Amino acid sequence: MKSKGSEVMFLAWNEIKNNKLRFTLVIGVLVLISYLVFFLSGLANGLEQLNREAVDKWEADGIILTEESDLRLQQSILSKDDFDGNGVDEYTELSQLSAIASNEDKKENVFIFAIDPDSFIMPNVTEGNTFVNEGEVIADDTLKEDGFEIGDEISLSSTDETLEIAGFTDKARFNAAPVLFTDRDTLETLQYGETAEGDNNTVNAFVIRADSLDNVEVDEALQVIDTETFIENLPGYTEQNLTLTLMIYFLFIISAVVLAIFLYVLTIQKISIFGVMKAQGISSGYLAGSVVAQTFLLSLAGVMIGLALAVITGLFLPAAVPVAFNYIEMLIYGIILIAVSVIGALISVQTIVRIDPLKAIGG
Amino acid sequence: MAILELKKVQKTFGTGRTKVEAMKETDFEAEKGELIAVIGPSGSGKSTFLTIAGGLQTPTDGEVMINGTALMDLKEKKRAALRLKEVGFVLQASNLVPYLNVGQQMQLLDKVKKGNLQKEEAKELYQSLGIDHLIRNFPKDLSGGEKQRVAIAKALYTNPSIILADEPTASLDSDRAFEVMNMLKEITKEKQTATIVVTHDTRLIDDCDKVYKITDGKMELQESVHDTL
Ligand SMILES: Nc1ncnc2c1ncn2[C@@H]1O[C@H](COP(=O)(O)OP(=O)(O)OP(=O)(O)O)[C@@H](O)[C@H]1O
Ligand SMILES: [Mg+2]
Repeated sequence: MKSKGSEVMFLAWNEIKNNKLRFTLVIGVLVLISYLVFFLSGLANGLEQLNREAVDKWEADGIILTEESDLRLQQSILSKDDFDGNGVDEYTELSQLSAIASNEDKKENVFIFAIDPDSFIMPNVTEGNTFVNEGEVIADDTLKEDGFEIGDEISLSSTDETLEIAGFTDKARFNAAPVLFTDRDTLETLQYGETAEGDNNTVNAFVIRADSLDNVEVDEALQVIDTETFIENLPGYTEQNLTLTLMIYFLFIISAVVLAIFLYVLTIQKISIFGVMKAQGISSGYLAGSVVAQTFLLSLAGVMIGLALAVITGLFLPAAVPVAFNYIEMLIYGIILIAVSVIGALISVQTIVRIDPLKAIGG
Repeated sequence: MAILELKKVQKTFGTGRTKVEAMKETDFEAEKGELIAVIGPSGSGKSTFLTIAGGLQTPTDGEVMINGTALMDLKEKKRAALRLKEVGFVLQASNLVPYLNVGQQMQLLDKVKKGNLQKEEAKELYQSLGIDHLIRNFPKDLSGGEKQRVAIAKALYTNPSIILADEPTASLDSDRAFEVMNMLKEITKEKQTATIVVTHDTRLIDDCDKVYKITDGKMELQESVHDTL
């Protein structure tokens, strides 16, 4: 467009001002679409965190599992001695057990992670104390919302043994369930009972920090995978993400189509007005520029309101709804929404160029 | 040199049985400062002539020159620019933008073209057209005659060298109609425009320099203005 922005805005803005109802409807539709996009993006993000925040917190580069495990932590059974640390900066073992935990009145699906308290995957304690005595755990603090408290006795579905919450940590959910951290002795007691010998060497994985995973040397029966691949293979994780991402992409297309139709109808209605302007010699470029400028204003307004509504909704949502906004991602989605709207407007540009001023003026 | 020139211009619509010769071969010239009336019955080809002269449609044959430029050689974009610069249209149908008030109709022209009327000149124009109190009105709040006067103001606002008016007085009462014709005449002389006015109303042509009569697409110069009566 040759015409400068402020000049094409003149026509665009005055038309909006004088047809408030019409353009409020257009903005309204855009608000709804962008609200949905932002909300879905928040949901996708929230669900992601629900699955991976405990792993992200390790700041690990990779994880060692057995070849047979199909990248599932539960299915990977190996011995403490299977890895000697060749090629890594740091490594630590991890054992896990999934269970249903309950205090007197609440039940919750949890993961119990047995870790070395001196290792780099030891979580920070945000409240209470770390685990010291057998049976003590550090729990993810979302359990607080379910009524679990420090000192609570937790009974488990699979055993008669009980655990006690010594303290809480934050951001420690794994595959949609809160994690309880404890030491190996406690986990072994849960798995094999008080009477078991104390020299059980079974673990589920090694968590490693290394500059390059290629240099990590492991037995044939083991495999080294990077953290991201490990997370992507959590049950349901990729499927969930794909579904939501696909919905968001569909919404982009929908907003482009809806806006294209709206603007096309408006343009058709204005053919005679555009025609008289063209008869006077006002260029198609200026008129098209004004439609594009108008679309930009409308979509900007719609996206901003949608964003504000999404953020406000987020403040009032119960904690059980896993919505977490990633503002940078929202900004990008907002820009995409505006961009696809403007692309939708380009269909009308063609119509404007084709308008014959002679037909419009009659006579 | 003639500011507007039509050489052997001809326009036919359709072919075969539906063929209409809207303009038979016509030569035409308009000088600066000339007020020219074009009269003729409905369907005789008056609007066709005017829109060809203003570059809104291309003739089937022949050539149109505006200020020495042959329109045939120009692409639509250049032709639009030439219209904007040289031609002021006053159309049969209202040519106002519904969502701009009277003042903004002119502002729009400032957005797309330089060298329009200065503030003082514009004020004078509005006064002489009797629309200076309507500057903030939108087209829907104007009477038919007021709309027509605003349309004239809009045509004159860009300082055109050619004014093409298609029945500018059609929706006016006779007093106003005379007034508008007088104004067109004044502007023609003062600004040295070539002004061509198409009209049904033979009472309005007394002051014109030349009168052409069109019958069935054939255009003829009337020897004396009063021949037409
Ligand atoms: N686009 C077109 N297609 C076919 N025929 C047309 C077209 N435009 C005009 N005509 C025909 O050309 C002839 C001249 O039309 P024109 O509009 O120039 O008449 P006019 O003198 O302006 O009439 P009026 O006084 O009613 O406005 C008419 O017979 C009309 O039907
Ligand atoms: Mg006509």
